[in-house]
This record gives sequence, structure tokens and C-alpha cells, in this order.
Amino acid sequence: MKSYETIVVGGGPAGMMAAITLGSKGVKTLILDENDELGGQLVKQTHKFFGDHAHYASVRGFEIAQKLQEKIFQDTNIEVETSATVIGIYPNKMVVYAKNGKEFKATYEKLLISTGAMEKQLPFINSDLPGVYGAGAVQTLMNEYGVMPGRRFLIIGSGNIGLILAYQLIQAGAEVRGIVEALGKIGGYAVHAKKIKRLGVPIFLKHTIVRAIGNESVLGAVIAKVDNNFNIIPGTEVEKVADTICVSVGLTPLSELAEQAGCKVEYIPQLGGYVPVRNERMQTSNPDVFIAGDLSSIEEATTAMIEGKIAALEMSRNFIKIAANKKNIENEINDEIKTLALFRSGPKSAKIRTGLEKFGINIKHVPKIESYGVQIGPTGKLRAIVDCTEEIPCNSCEAACSFGAIHIGENLNSTPVVDYDKCTGCATCVTACPGLAIHMLKEDLENSTALVGIPYELLPLPEKGQKMWALDEDGNYVCDSIVKRVVKYPNKTNIVYIEVPIEFSRKVLSVSFPKKESPFVCRCEEITLDKIERVVDSGITDFEELKRLTRVTMGPCGGKNCKLVVLGILSRKTGVPISKLSHGTSRPPVKPVEFSLFMKGSDPT
Amino acid sequence: MEGRIKAHPILEFRRGKRVKFYFEDREIEAYEGETVAAALQANGIRVLRYTPNTKRPAGLFCAIGKCSSCLMKIDGVPNVRSCMTKVREGMHVRRQNGRGDVL
Repeated sequence: MKSYETIVVGGGPAGMMAAITLGSKGVKTLILDENDELGGQLVKQTHKFFGDHAHYASVRGFEIAQKLQEKIFQDTNIEVETSATVIGIYPNKMVVYAKNGKEFKATYEKLLISTGAMEKQLPFINSDLPGVYGAGAVQTLMNEYGVMPGRRFLIIGSGNIGLILAYQLIQAGAEVRGIVEALGKIGGYAVHAKKIKRLGVPIFLKHTIVRAIGNESVLGAVIAKVDNNFNIIPGTEVEKVADTICVSVGLTPLSELAEQAGCKVEYIPQLGGYVPVRNERMQTSNPDVFIAGDLSSIEEATTAMIEGKIAALEMSRNFIKIAANKKNIENEINDEIKTLALFRSGPKSAKIRTGLEKFGINIKHVPKIESYGVQIGPTGKLRAIVDCTEEIPCNSCEAACSFGAIHIGENLNSTPVVDYDKCTGCATCVTACPGLAIHMLKEDLENSTALVGIPYELLPLPEKGQKMWALDEDGNYVCDSIVKRVVKYPNKTNIVYIEVPIEFSRKVLSVSFPKKESPFVCRCEEITLDKIERVVDSGITDFEELKRLTRVTMGPCGGKNCKLVVLGILSRKTGVPISKLSHGTSRPPVKPVEFSLFMKGSDPT
Repeated sequence: MEGRIKAHPILEFRRGKRVKFYFEDREIEAYEGETVAAALQANGIRVLRYTPNTKRPAGLFCAIGKCSSCLMKIDGVPNVRSCMTKVREGMHVRRQNGRGDVL
């Protein structure tokens, strides 16, 4: 049995940051994690994180995990045990874990528990059917293993996880049929919601899932409207075709090990469920045990990291003998507490604040949050348009702009203000924004066109000169556009610049490849409606000529299937009634017969 | 192999070397480093076990070792979390029927 000054259980963002902090203070630390690499749920996050520069804003989740891992492996004070499943914590300060089929024991002086959370269950008929996954499971399969578990997805719950999942699914090439949300408003960040709406994903507010359809695997779902008490309104049920259903109705802390470690827990729904009682410094009712991250309250990875740091600093005081160093740590703790308060001061953290008040933790003395609408800026100048009007804790655009053109201010929940005298049109903010909420715009009044630069994180990347569809905020077609320029960035948020008629300059927010689907008119020769229309539009209005050019009506059926449809298209395009159009000449044989029939000659009788 | 993402705008998948294992005696191709559950999903196999009482099919739910929905019989051992078990060359994986035998 090995002894450590501190043990950290759970190597997600909170646990990793705690271990790094403890190591940096010279505290001998063991970090245990069940997975074969550290990082927790960061490893499956492909989106850039919100926040500030000091806390990895604009960095993608899996890359944050890599950065933290590097720091941990560089520090000799930290011992890492992965693939180590902690199965219990015992009163004699002992952690027991299983690894490679064997049992191990380790003791601690101070313990940090950062076991995170798991997805809440939502019981509906057939919610146990294979093909109903937790949203996080699909993220794990897609982003860790490169496995796509379905084709057409329905997501239940519009919190950040549901919204992010929808975006990630589209990035990986799947189809998202919609997001179902029981509340009257979207749960997650507006910028996450706008990202997927622009891609045409519908969000069904005030709806719930009634049942999954299928016997051994999901084939679809029944959804229905709900009233204000979340009761299903009879008669509003509709079937949705989907082969995979993802449940993302929130997370709940995993408090079992904390309870075993002697921490008192309380049920606080605003924090996610049963959470250990703790003070501002993350110390639980057992003075030797600390917590951090989703175990203390369901929040973002950023706040988890700050909590991990606060807990670790407080724990490290126990091992530091020099008074001056102790005082420095005290100052560091107070600074981190202030930063955390700032992060939690916005409207999206109201629930967390209410929950924390139950522990006597109040957020006070934070700078005021300033809010501004979307600014249009001076017409004709290439400039950034920032569509970020919801107060969320993020100032990555301000940090990205090297010209000082974007101002957020002391409280990072404030919304950005652009100084268009300073904006050079460099588009660095467009590629940095985690919410993809900034685009570029330049009107050309002489030619009545506008150049719109759209952040683009999908495959394939459009190419210069390509004809694309320009779409609005709901992913609806607005107009055709031409790609003028594609700028690739190392962070993989590329920018596609398209030219649109000037009247659509404020409407266009998204771009897609033209949808090529067109029904088959002539099934023998496989000619689509689109092809026939294009030939007619090129000036061919004679039925015989149309036949020769497209082979329409010339297959084995002799035009029995499609002749009337083709004439209908011609009539609609030319304005000439079908009765006045030539409809070709019918020749034998009218049914397919063997050639040998003619070779044998006629019946002698 | 079906069910695997070939191109991704953000991620590069560095897959390990190919391994073969058996699911209900059927040969399954997988990559070293991935879990049994992930490899089965990639091959379109969703039913991982049948429940003890109502004999309903059950599949993967959380994929991170919390929910115990993906318990399978792996190399003769029942109640193994297939989402936390990495594939190994030649391993035998079976759907679990009911609770699994102790002996």
C-alpha cells in the first residue's frame, strides 16, 4: 500500500488542474482515472471553449486535455494511474482501486474527489431500446473512436450538450432531424443554437418524446406537444423518422465516493442533484476531503478547472511550512475566487448562484455587465459583424483582436462592442469566436453586391468560383452565390467568402452546397426533372428535339410512363397547352419483344 | 468497414492496427485501442444483451462506464462493461442473457 500527501480521484478538467496546482506547490500527488488517458469528457469535445485567455478560450476541448496532460506528465511530483477504477473510499483515509484485474490500496492526507457527473435518465416508452443513447455516448463514439452509430438522429433536450452534439453530428456527416425541448425556450447558449439553426436543424420547443419506435433497434420516435405542466397534449403526436435517439436532459453529479469519504451531501436541484456540502474553498464537511468540477455543480469545464485550482491551493496550505509562502497561496486563492465569481455573474449562471446560496456562498462585488445589440458598422468597409447578444462568460474575440477593435471590459459576461475605426477586416475574431457568432461583410454599392465571410467547419470545403446556396439564420435558401475566397486557418475554423446581391447582405448568414435532389421523370432512361428543365431553359422547346437530346421517352416503355409528364413540363415552361404541342410519333413494337421474332418472319398461315 | 467516420473537418483519427475478435462466433474487424462496444456499434450491432426479467434487448447507453447497460459476456466472464473493455485479438464476446452465471 502506497501513501501520498494528496490523492485526486478523477482526471477530468477539475482533477487535472488540481493535480497540476498541487504538483507545482511540491505536493506529492497521485491522480487516478478509470480511462486509459486523462482528460475526462474534454477528450470528446471538438468545439472551441468559451471563457478567457487564461482558461483556454478558443481552444478545442480535446486540445485543452492534451495541454493539461503535458503539464501533468512533466511534473515529477505527480504520479498518474490510468485504467484505474476507484471502487471505494474507506474511513482510514484509504482509496481502493481496481487495475488490470487486481486490487490496489493507497492512503492520503488530503483527498480531492472530482468524479464528475453522468447523464440523467428520461423514462419514455422504449427508452431502453438499443439505439437510444445518452448524448455523451454518441460524442464518445464519434469523436474518440471515429464511429458513427446511426444516420438520422433525433436529440432530446436543447441544453449545451444537445446543441453541441447536433453540430458535431453534422460535422461528422450525419443528419439531425431535430431537437426536442420541453421548455418554451432553448436551454443552452444562443450562439450554439444559432450555429445549428443556420444548418437547418429544427428545434421543437414545448415538445417531448412519447416513445421510441422499434423492436430490437430504433426506427423512429413519436413526439408530442406539452402544456405548461409538461403534460402531453393528446392529439398532437407526430412520428419522426430517426434511427438513433440521443438523450441530453442534463447531468447529475456522481457523489457516491464523496459520501463514502464522509462528506455530507444535500439534494440541490439547481446544482444537478445530490452534491457534497462544501465551502467557498471546495472543502467538504470532512476537512480532509475536497471536491471540484461537475461533482460540486453541473457547469462548464472552465469553472471546473478554476474550482480544481482553488481546492488544490487550499489543500496545499497543509503541506507548506514557510509563512510567506502560505500568505502567497492565500492571495492566489482569493484571486481565483474572484475569477470564479466573475464567470458565474452572468444570467446563464442564475441557477448555479441560487444553488450555491444554499451553502452560504454568495457572489458579490463583480463589475457590471454591459449589453449592446448587433452593430452594423460603416457600409462599404470590410468589417466584422458580431452577432453575440446573450451575456455569456467569454471574451475570446477581444483577446483575439490585435488592433484593440473589440471591447468587452472587466466583466467577461458583457457583450462585445466593435470600434469600426480600428477594425481592419483581418477576420481573426471570426476564426477565434467559439460560438461562430462573427462574420465578415463588405458591400459593393457600385456593383450592387456584398461580400459575406462565413466561418465554416464542415467538409468538403467549398472552392473559389464554386456556385453555392446562401442561407439565412434558419438555414433557408436566400439566393445563389459565388465563392470569391476561401481562407484556411490552423484552428480549422475556415472562412468562406461569398458574393451575394446587395439586398441580401444582412440576411445571409450561412452557406451550403446546392441541394441536387431532383425526381426521376423518365425511369427507363433515368432522366431527372432538373435535367429536362435545364434543356428546355436552354431554348429547346420541341418535344422531338428534347427526346433526341435527353433520350426521354425513348427507353423500353416507349414513353408510356413519362410522355405526359414531359409534355406537362414543356407546356408549363412554354405556356403552350399540351393539346397544341407535338407529341411525337408512335412506332412498333409498342411492347418489348424478342428480336428473334422478326428474324423468324411472319406466320405462314 | 461500415459505421466509421472517414473524413472529419476537425479531427484526425489515428486508428491502431487491425484486430479480429468474435461476436457470437461471428468474426468482427476492429482497431486496437477501441472498446468492444465501439467496435460493435461500428459494425451495426446494437443489441448487447437481453434483460433478466422481461428479456428485452439492451444496448449501449452512456459509453463511459457508468450506466451498466452494455454488460456482456467477454471471454466467458459475464457482467463485463463492454464500453470500458478494449478489443483484443481473438477475444470471444457474447450477448449476455439475464444476469450471467457466477460460476
